[in-house]
Amino acid sequence: MLNILSQLIAGGNNHTNLIYIMLALPAILGLVVILLPVKGYGGRSVAFIGALVINALAALGLLLGENFSMRFPWVHLGDFSIQFSLRVYNFSAFILIAIAAIALLIGIYTVVFMRGKSHYGSFYCFFLLNLALANGAALANNLIVLLFFWAGLLVTLFAMIAIGNRNNVSAAVKALIISAVADLLLILGIAITVWQSGGKMMMDEIMPLPLTGLNNVGFVLMMLGALGKAGAIPFHSWIPDAAKDAPLPFMAMMPGALEKLLGIYLAVRVARDFYALEPGSGMSMFIMIIGVVTIILAVGMAMIQKDMKRLLSFHAISQVGYMVLGIGTALPVGIVGALFHMLNNAIYKSALFLSAGAVERSCGTTDLKQISGLRRVMPITAIGFTIAALSISGVPPFNGFFSKELIFDAALESGLVFYILALLGAFMTAASFLKLGHAAFFGPLKWPHIEESNNPNPRETPAAMYVPLLILAAFCLVFGLGNVIPLAGIQSILGDFMAGHDYSGWPHSMSLVLISLAVLIFAVLNHLFGKLRTGQAVKALDHIHYAPGLHQVYNVAEKGYLDPYEWLMFAIKAYAKLCFAIDRAIDWIYNVLLVKLISVLSKGLAHLNNGHSTRYMAWVFVGMLFVLLALILYL
Amino acid sequence: MPQNLISATATAVFIVGPLLAILINNLLPRTLAQKICLKVGIAATLLQIAAVCSCVWLFFANSSYHISFSVFWNMSAQPGAARFYVDFLSLTVMLAIGLVSLVSLLTANESIKDKALNFSNLLMICMIGMNGLVMVNDLFSLYIFLEITGIAAFVLIALLREERGLEGAFKYLAMSAIASVFLLASLALIFMETGDLHFANVAALLSSPAQASQPLLLMIASLFFITAFSIKAAMVPFHGWLPDAYQSAPAAVSVLLGGIVTKAAGVYAIIRVLSGAFSGVLAGVFSHVQNVHVVFAILGLVSILYGAIAAIGQRDMKRMLAYSSISQMGYIVLGAATGSVIGLVGAALHFFNHATFKGTLFVNAAALEKQTGSTDLEVLPCGLQARMPLTAISSMLAFFSTAGIPPLAGFWSKFLIILAVWQSGSPLMAGLALLASIITAAYFLRIQRKVFFGQPDDSSNEITEVKGSLALAEWLLSIITVGCGLLFPALLLLMQSKGLF
Repeated sequence: MLNILSQLIAGGNNHTNLIYIMLALPAILGLVVILLPVKGYGGRSVAFIGALVINALAALGLLLGENFSMRFPWVHLGDFSIQFSLRVYNFSAFILIAIAAIALLIGIYTVVFMRGKSHYGSFYCFFLLNLALANGAALANNLIVLLFFWAGLLVTLFAMIAIGNRNNVSAAVKALIISAVADLLLILGIAITVWQSGGKMMMDEIMPLPLTGLNNVGFVLMMLGALGKAGAIPFHSWIPDAAKDAPLPFMAMMPGALEKLLGIYLAVRVARDFYALEPGSGMSMFIMIIGVVTIILAVGMAMIQKDMKRLLSFHAISQVGYMVLGIGTALPVGIVGALFHMLNNAIYKSALFLSAGAVERSCGTTDLKQISGLRRVMPITAIGFTIAALSISGVPPFNGFFSKELIFDAALESGLVFYILALLGAFMTAASFLKLGHAAFFGPLKWPHIEESNNPNPRETPAAMYVPLLILAAFCLVFGLGNVIPLAGIQSILGDFMAGHDYSGWPHSMSLVLISLAVLIFAVLNHLFGKLRTGQAVKALDHIHYAPGLHQVYNVAEKGYLDPYEWLMFAIKAYAKLCFAIDRAIDWIYNVLLVKLISVLSKGLAHLNNGHSTRYMAWVFVGMLFVLLALILYL
Repeated sequence: MPQNLISATATAVFIVGPLLAILINNLLPRTLAQKICLKVGIAATLLQIAAVCSCVWLFFANSSYHISFSVFWNMSAQPGAARFYVDFLSLTVMLAIGLVSLVSLLTANESIKDKALNFSNLLMICMIGMNGLVMVNDLFSLYIFLEITGIAAFVLIALLREERGLEGAFKYLAMSAIASVFLLASLALIFMETGDLHFANVAALLSSPAQASQPLLLMIASLFFITAFSIKAAMVPFHGWLPDAYQSAPAAVSVLLGGIVTKAAGVYAIIRVLSGAFSGVLAGVFSHVQNVHVVFAILGLVSILYGAIAAIGQRDMKRMLAYSSISQMGYIVLGAATGSVIGLVGAALHFFNHATFKGTLFVNAAALEKQTGSTDLEVLPCGLQARMPLTAISSMLAFFSTAGIPPLAGFWSKFLIILAVWQSGSPLMAGLALLASIITAAYFLRIQRKVFFGQPDDSSNEITEVKGSLALAEWLLSIITVGCGLLFPALLLLMQSKGLF
């Protein structure tokens, strides 16, 4: 501690030690936590929080310190060598501090949330390992090193989902397979990138490659790998499934914040540092299409959900769409918007998941049909939720409004259709949060009464759970009103690219703001219409859900027919059946055909020996003929 | 002089030993002779094994690996005189003769009661024939001993005077008669051309067939010669008599026929004429005649495949073993036909190995016949491993050895043969020979699974393991199969270090 503090005070030096702390400390303490005596809940929690605090301090130290990079040889194979290289500069430090802050807040919440639950030790352990790997991925300055940490995250991802439901790990398997496919694409993309850049693996040495020929393939593969981590379509479908099983802190941590941070970080690096993505190019269009498709499909699914966790998980997907759209425009305003939105999303999405966790803890369920009016018993959670919901819906002056306006600006500049679809997404986001908030926290008080379980009245959660929520909510406001703080950091990251632009303060285009506000007002009217029509807030969007045409589409989607993972599984099963059939056929050749053939042949040969000496003698003469023939032939 | 010592031992034991046994058996009072005749025979076979061992020792001690001698005539005698020649090939075969005869006697001890005296006498005559066959050094003496062996074998097959035995003996006799006619004709033609029947002289004359006055005559001689020995060795398609004879012979005689007689009478002669064997001094009659090699290679391969495939479909164990013998003799001939040193060593080793593992299997068949009354796979009860563990395990070891599974003895010899065939530039033949050994494993596993593996059923409750001399024979042969397998690499290295090949 003293060392770190002295380093912090010293400020401006190369904080190499801080890097080691960020990589090693969470990993070591993660292992220590699980090795502590079984009943050591207190000790484990202290070690857990301690690791998170030190990590946050170290991240702060790196942010305040100077840029630097360090390297040492890692793998040597003749001429080929891989440098283990890490680099601290404003971008990676920005990601690190965001990760560290979110992890600390969620960690505090986790300590209370996991109390009394089994496997909390394993969860702490994987949480910390996950943090170490995420730090490594953000710090990596070599594509191979990046891949090492990136793929390591698969393990902790799988483990943390599996902890939620040990008897059925299908959600964890699904997450693992989907993320592994994304990682595979990333590996191929990295291979092409290294090849095309003449064998350069150091991320700060690669010059942006022009998007021509094979470079397009490398770009698309790397981009898909990065966006797959962020949860963009078609790598999204594990998130709603995981929401059902995985512990809520995991949802807040991984799909809510950390994966977005890492995925969008890498996507921006790919689009800016490794490849030169030009506005208006085909690739730009391709990425923007991924963005809007992700927004529309995911938010469309979110609208009809009747479960808080599941609804939020679809928003965890749809918000990525805005970031992808922003990156895809390749315009300064779009990329700034994407990074700002990434930061904002991490804040309000974590807050939303944390409030869902609070509801689950108090009521034992997050099913919107069973809960209502919780603001009367959980006022603080309700405030935190409301701020985060306003923020995600894009209501001024919260942070989500400002980042979305930047993206709208970029979308309009790139194409009217993208702008309109982004607006449609904003409308649906607002509509679904009106429904969610109204149903869960407003209206008459209602919670599931279950006699047997002796369910007490729901009450406010402990401070350790609502304080992180409130801090996050406060950041929603601070980063909204004071958006100059984060935007200054983001614009410094992009450096020369931002020359002459400054997007802090009130959005530049007042007409766009007015259109956005109109959309929000329309969403409110729509909600009121739906509420009046059905009388229940939870059914406020049923007129869209059961609209002719949409109804059928929703049915198909809810059954999983539109899930690429299900298609993949179907293809794998079909392939397995095909292999089985081929295997059977080969077995048949060996077990039936060959046996029949040989036994027929054998019977035939045996029948030649019919016991008559005359026939045997006849053979002798036939044999002699052949021998004579052979003798003459080979003479 | 060690030379004289060896020749004296060889003559005394290999020829005079069995003769003495016959004399003892027949001069003693009949009741006493009935009792001890088999033991006298056993003594003669043990003496032969001991003599082979001492000859080997003397060879190594003197660093002289072959010896020529005459018994009744001078070395410088005229053509046609009986001159003997003993080398490692002869010794290997004679060791196999002694071993199989011993096992046959042990089997007879359990299965042949009232005909024991006849059996012993005939077996001794058969031994004289085979021993002579492997020691002689000229074609005419070869013919004489071949006939002695054959005649003893015919009578042995028909020993019990059952209809089947008589029929099998007749078929063997008829086919052997044809073989004899061809052999004699061939000898006459060769004598006409060369004026000599001594192996070395004939070979010298035949080595330059272009200089022969009548090449056509020589080709006909070759044709007759090949036919004669192919019948004796039961090469396909000259094999018709063999399954019938093996199946119909009494158990003890099957052991003898399957283990040694057919091979000594036919296959040994083929090896001998195709090659100069180990020492290289004795030139094979046909060792320089390429087309005869090719013909024997083809006959060997056809026999391997035919025997293996036909064996799969058999339901009588002895008949299946008979087809298996055809297949295995094919390997020996194929190895010899390569003409290379590795092929010859492989052939000689396979000769000995075949004597042990096929002997084991015929002894097992005899044990099954004695304990269950049948050798028919459809009739034999299941799961006999629990009832007859020794028979089951010895038969499995013998099967594995036949199929060439390391480290059992059969692996090394088959490996050398296939290697030699591959090196001689015929990978296709080598592949087919390898394929046949997979089929070998298939048909043997069929027996093993049908008879020995699995749960014993109620019908086998009364069945017990064999005792006495049959069990002793199974033990002896199994130990040799495993022991040889483990010792073969060392043996081969030893022989190579002595410059034998």
